[in-house]
Formats: sequence, structure tokens, C-alpha cells
Amino acid sequence: MNPIEEGSAIERCKNGDREAFGLIVQKYMKPAYYVALGYVGRPDDALDISQDAFINAFRHIKRFDSSKSFFPWFYSILKNLCLNHLSRSRRRKEDSIEQMVEEEGQSRIPVETVNPEQGAVQRDIEVRIGKALQRLRPKEREIIILQHFQDYSYQEIADLLGIPIGTVMSRLYSARRELRRELERMGVRY
Amino acid sequence: MSCDTFKPLLMGYLDEELTALEAVRVEQHLEECHDCTAELDDFRKLKEVTRNMRVVMPDDKYWDEYWSNIYNRLERKAGWILLSLGSIILSAYGLYWVIAEVFLDKNVHPVIRIGVLTLIVGFCTLLVSVLRERFFLSKSDKYERIKR
Repeated sequence: MNPIEEGSAIERCKNGDREAFGLIVQKYMKPAYYVALGYVGRPDDALDISQDAFINAFRHIKRFDSSKSFFPWFYSILKNLCLNHLSRSRRRKEDSIEQMVEEEGQSRIPVETVNPEQGAVQRDIEVRIGKALQRLRPKEREIIILQHFQDYSYQEIADLLGIPIGTVMSRLYSARRELRRELERMGVRY
Repeated sequence: MSCDTFKPLLMGYLDEELTALEAVRVEQHLEECHDCTAELDDFRKLKEVTRNMRVVMPDDKYWDEYWSNIYNRLERKAGWILLSLGSIILSAYGLYWVIAEVFLDKNVHPVIRIGVLTLIVGFCTLLVSVLRERFFLSKSDKYERIKR
């Protein structure tokens, strides 16, 4: 869907056309999932929250300025939902130290290699990278997932997040530096 | 220019996202700066080890159902709004009816009147309390507990 078709679909959404909104959802559901995963770290939560964000976006679509790109506006809704979720889960974790320790030990961003002939060593690195990613700040995770693991170009990331390319580079620099430090702390050699 | 200026550009250089002119400037800096060269090598190794790695995607069935889940929830939301509206209208009418029947009818026993009045006052107190709490919560920073 090109920008003109997207603009037309948005206008139809503003008139309550749910089918038109379906086209928008189909276009952005995967980037929305990656962004949510970067924030909340759990695939199930990321799916739920990204869907909630689309529902909120449809409910408030009349407030959207059609002359601008959809995703940066949608991104602000999605980010707020992710932050709400983190806030709630932190409060829950504060209520249960045992659960927190258990989750810290187990949780990791699910990453895998596309090489089917991977060995046990590579598999171990995957798990450790997933754990190291989980320890990064949400914005760092988000940009690593988009660029490192999903091969989005800098321009695509800038368009998605509504930030300049210079910010993409500086954010990517600090994210990669932190990921490297985390891997070093975990004793991962590569 | 200092290394700090070049560090973000190292990312663009590594990912081949710079313009030709920017790439030349970075190369010139790298020739003079061992620290940035070493750091770039580290980032290159990190990129190499994750070259073939991808985030595990949910199964296709999740993506097939993704939009239908949203559609169903949008539809249900409209249903809930209508249901709530209907409930509010009926509750308001019920309240009016109770007031008219209980308080305006002099044959109703005073104990029943007091009981109904207590119920209404209790309900209103709870409602005001909840609304006030939500109002003050909405004014405070919801994200203050999150370290960014």
C-alpha cells in the first residue's frame, strides 16, 4: 500500500469504515509487534498490546492529522500502552520478589538463527543474546530488533519511529554498545 | 572533530548507510584514530555473530487471526457501549421511580424510607470516591515509576 492509498484508507477509517482499517493493520501489524516486543519483552504481551494499540488508534482516528504518516502517530499510542504495561508489571513484581527472581532468570527475547545447521554453541549464543537483549533499555531493544534482527534500513526506522536518521544512528550506537557490554558481562565470546 | 561526533557515524559506516562523502570522512578519521577503529571492529564482530539471527515470529495462525481479533473486539466494544448506555438510562429511570414511589408516597413505612435513603447515599459516596480517585490519578504521572 503506497502513501496515497494509505491516506485514502485513513479517510475511510475516519468515516467508520472498519474494512479500510484492516488494510492499515495488515500493513503495520509486524512493525507494531517488533516495537511492542522491544518494550515489553514477551511475545504474547507484545501481540496483545499491539492489538490494543490498533483498537485505540481506530477509536481516536478522527484526531489523526491525515497529512502526516500514520505509524509515528500510532507509535505514540503503542508506546504509552507498553509503558503502562511495564508500570503494572513492575508493581506486580514488587509484590513478589520470588517471581521477580524467577522471571529475571528465565526471560529472554526469542531470537533464532536462520541457519538450519547451527550447533549447540550457536544455540547457546542465541539464548545468551536473547537474555542480554532483555537487559537493555526498551528504546535500545527496540532499535536493535528493528535494525539488527529484522534488517530495516535507517530510513525505514526513521519513518516508523518519526525520528531523524542522525537519531537512529546515535540510538543504535548506544544500543549496540550496551549489548556488547552485557554480552561481555555474561562471558559470551564471539 | 572529536570521536564523539564520529561514533554514531560508525554505525552508518558499518551498515553501509552513509553517503559517499560521509563514508570518506569516517575513513579519514579511522586512519587517525585507533580507539574508533578498535570499537568498529568490535561492532563488526557483534554484527557478524548476529548476522543470521532473527526475532522468533509468532506462528502464521496468529497473523491470520490478528485482524479478525481486532475486528471482533471493535465490534464488541460498540456492543458494550450500547449496553452501558441502556443500563444507565434504565438505572436513572429506576432511581426516579424509587424516589417517586418511596419518598412521595406517604403510606410507605419510615424504616423502608430510611433504608432506601441509606442505600442511595452509600452508593453516591462510593461513586464520588471512585471518580475523585480516578481524576487525581489521571493528573499524576503514570510513568514516574519507570526508569528511562
